[in-house]
Amino acid sequence: MRAAIVIALKDLSQRIRDKSAILLGVVAPLGLAFIFSAIIPDATASSFNVHVGIVDNDHAAISAGFIDEVIPAVEDQGLLTATMFDDTDAALAEVETGSLDAVYIFPDGYSASVQSGGGGTVRMVRNVDATIAGQIAGAILDGYLAEVEAVTISVGTAAINGGQDIAAITAQAMDSPATVTLADTEASDRTLDTTTYFAAGMAVFFLFFTVQFGVSSLLEERLHGTLPRLLGAPISRWSVIGGKALTSFVLGVVSMVVLAVGTTVLIGANWGNPVGVAILMMAGVLAALGIMAVVAVISRTPEQAANWQSIVAVVLGLLGGTFFPLSQGPRLLALVSKLTPHAWFMQGLGDLSGGAGLISVVAPALAMLTFFVVTVGIAVWFGRGRVLAP
Amino acid sequence: MKALAITSVNVKRLLREPSTIFFVFIFPMLLILVIGASFGGSFRPKVGVLNAGGGQYATAFVDQISGNDAFNTIVYDDHDALLGDVERGYVNMGVTIPTDYDQRLRSGEVGQVEFLGRADQSVFEYRATIEAIAAEQSAIFRAARLVADDGLADFDQAVVSARLVAAGSGALEVTTETTGEALFGENFGQFDLGAPSNLILFVFLTSLAGSAALINTRRLGVSRRMVSTPTSIGQILIGETGGRFAIAMIQGLFIMIGAAVAFGVRWGDLVAAGALLIAIALVGAGAGMLMGAIFDNDEQAGSVGVFLGLGLAALGGCMVPLEIFPDTMVKIAHLTPHAWALDGFSELIRRGGNLASVASELAVLAGFAAVLLALGTWRLRKTLTS
Repeated sequence: MRAAIVIALKDLSQRIRDKSAILLGVVAPLGLAFIFSAIIPDATASSFNVHVGIVDNDHAAISAGFIDEVIPAVEDQGLLTATMFDDTDAALAEVETGSLDAVYIFPDGYSASVQSGGGGTVRMVRNVDATIAGQIAGAILDGYLAEVEAVTISVGTAAINGGQDIAAITAQAMDSPATVTLADTEASDRTLDTTTYFAAGMAVFFLFFTVQFGVSSLLEERLHGTLPRLLGAPISRWSVIGGKALTSFVLGVVSMVVLAVGTTVLIGANWGNPVGVAILMMAGVLAALGIMAVVAVISRTPEQAANWQSIVAVVLGLLGGTFFPLSQGPRLLALVSKLTPHAWFMQGLGDLSGGAGLISVVAPALAMLTFFVVTVGIAVWFGRGRVLAP
Repeated sequence: MKALAITSVNVKRLLREPSTIFFVFIFPMLLILVIGASFGGSFRPKVGVLNAGGGQYATAFVDQISGNDAFNTIVYDDHDALLGDVERGYVNMGVTIPTDYDQRLRSGEVGQVEFLGRADQSVFEYRATIEAIAAEQSAIFRAARLVADDGLADFDQAVVSARLVAAGSGALEVTTETTGEALFGENFGQFDLGAPSNLILFVFLTSLAGSAALINTRRLGVSRRMVSTPTSIGQILIGETGGRFAIAMIQGLFIMIGAAVAFGVRWGDLVAAGALLIAIALVGAGAGMLMGAIFDNDEQAGSVGVFLGLGLAALGGCMVPLEIFPDTMVKIAHLTPHAWALDGFSELIRRGGNLASVASELAVLAGFAAVLLALGTWRLRKTLTS
């Protein structure tokens, strides 16, 4: 054990002098997280609001019901802001420039036509980029018109089923309550805010580059001829391997801690419960260490190892959703991402931020530890008689 | 002639490495694919639907959701799985039709549909559409309820006739038109955003990381030996620069042609696109030369190269589109060659521009290239002759 610590200390001091570990472990992820937080506007800062215009050429019951009852109600929810226009062209011009998301245009004689059973068409024009806002604006009108139509449908249905007293049925229909309603269940938010997302994503992405410095240094020892000397020393072979693994572990943990503290202080990232974060970090560092050890064991030269480690780190990082969230992509992509420790690390942080408590890090931590156990097993099995062969 | 030999050695060295093959050719295409699959095309919010009872009225509700083009509908059969996916953002919202939905409607009670949304603002964005669907369903059952209560028909039968009436009555329609100029232009392909940004990102990244090769050439004494042969310093400098440039061009052409063939990316005016690529490759070659001349340790240069390559790309709009940058950051972005190159490609791909309309972008890139190449060759000449 003492020998392992000595080896690790020597490797660590070498890495600090070399600066590339500091660069990849701290400077690069911190710098990138900083850049990302600067270039991406915070979506939650400006809450979503639909700006609509209304042109009422109808001036009768149905348009009035919409303008006087439905619109004020959604305005109260803070979802929408409406402006009345007398001039259609003026309203359309504002939609064209994007200062309005959409405009509703009720035609002349609309209510009369609808009430006499002739139907009618409300024209809605939306800005080409206001997809979601346009959808909301359309849905609000659709919902209202469905209410209006309910009376017509009721009367018509009664009539074809032999109903006689149309006036009474109409009155009854107008009073009939909604039969289908929505009941809201508020789901907790387990997604990370933009700043924390990129801070954590960059940290775990570069973690894989940081830990490789330790495990790959065995290959360097062999290249520089210092490996036989180490093996000749009166220390166990496991102390040599243990020393290298310890180097990786320390580098990984230190870089993660520095990044978590650094991004919290510098750009206001919110990593969450420190105990939970610490558990996830430990598991993440071990998973990264195991995976990089496999690549190192299979490689013959330090260069080859570094090359393949970069490939593995970059592919896993991409598929693990560290550069951009994959949740919006095809479901297959989301499933594939579960084959990376990165995705579990990010999920663990997300669940932790959702307020589910420490219990929520158990599954992600176990998943990452599984990576560790499996990859270390592979590394040991592959490395038998090979890694320490002079 | 000797310069050409040095150039070709540089290219051969690169092509021999399996890992560079990956980073230069395979990874950019992979990234274009993943970005296109995740963000390309028109965004359709995902709605997770759980039809717990599976009755005919519940199914009618679900069918109306999945028939709505605005949504991408995903069917769930487990409430916890749906809730978890809503919480983690894999679906934007969830809709659960409870087991007793049909039964409640038939017995004259209100059919309650559960709407699962995250606490953030997005919940309102989509709720209105589901609410409109509920209102339409409600209208049918209101009619059927009334007819059944008046003893004119039984409920299920009344629903059938109410649907007929709803389909046949003078419909209340809403027509939707669009106006204005689209941010990313009309007919913007699924991969048209990712392809140029990744082209620029990777040509620079490879050039910067490639400086390690130049450092090795110097460290191993190859360049000193070259200088001792009857080869002029000028020839060596041209050859090394040519090597960097050739690698950048090979990669750039591969990505351009590959993206066009595999993902149908239309690069627009080919002469102008080629000119932009040459300009980018020259800037990359210059930056690679400068780094290769400044650093003495190839590992350090590799790390700095990766950091600069990714950092400048992010800052220059190759990772997040410039269109969504805050205004000040757009200005800062234009301190990088990346942003200018992106502007050039945007002009070609989205607005059908030509050589004349990207002249200013080309001029700025040429300026970057001239400065970097001058500094790089000057530094390298110094290290070779000292």
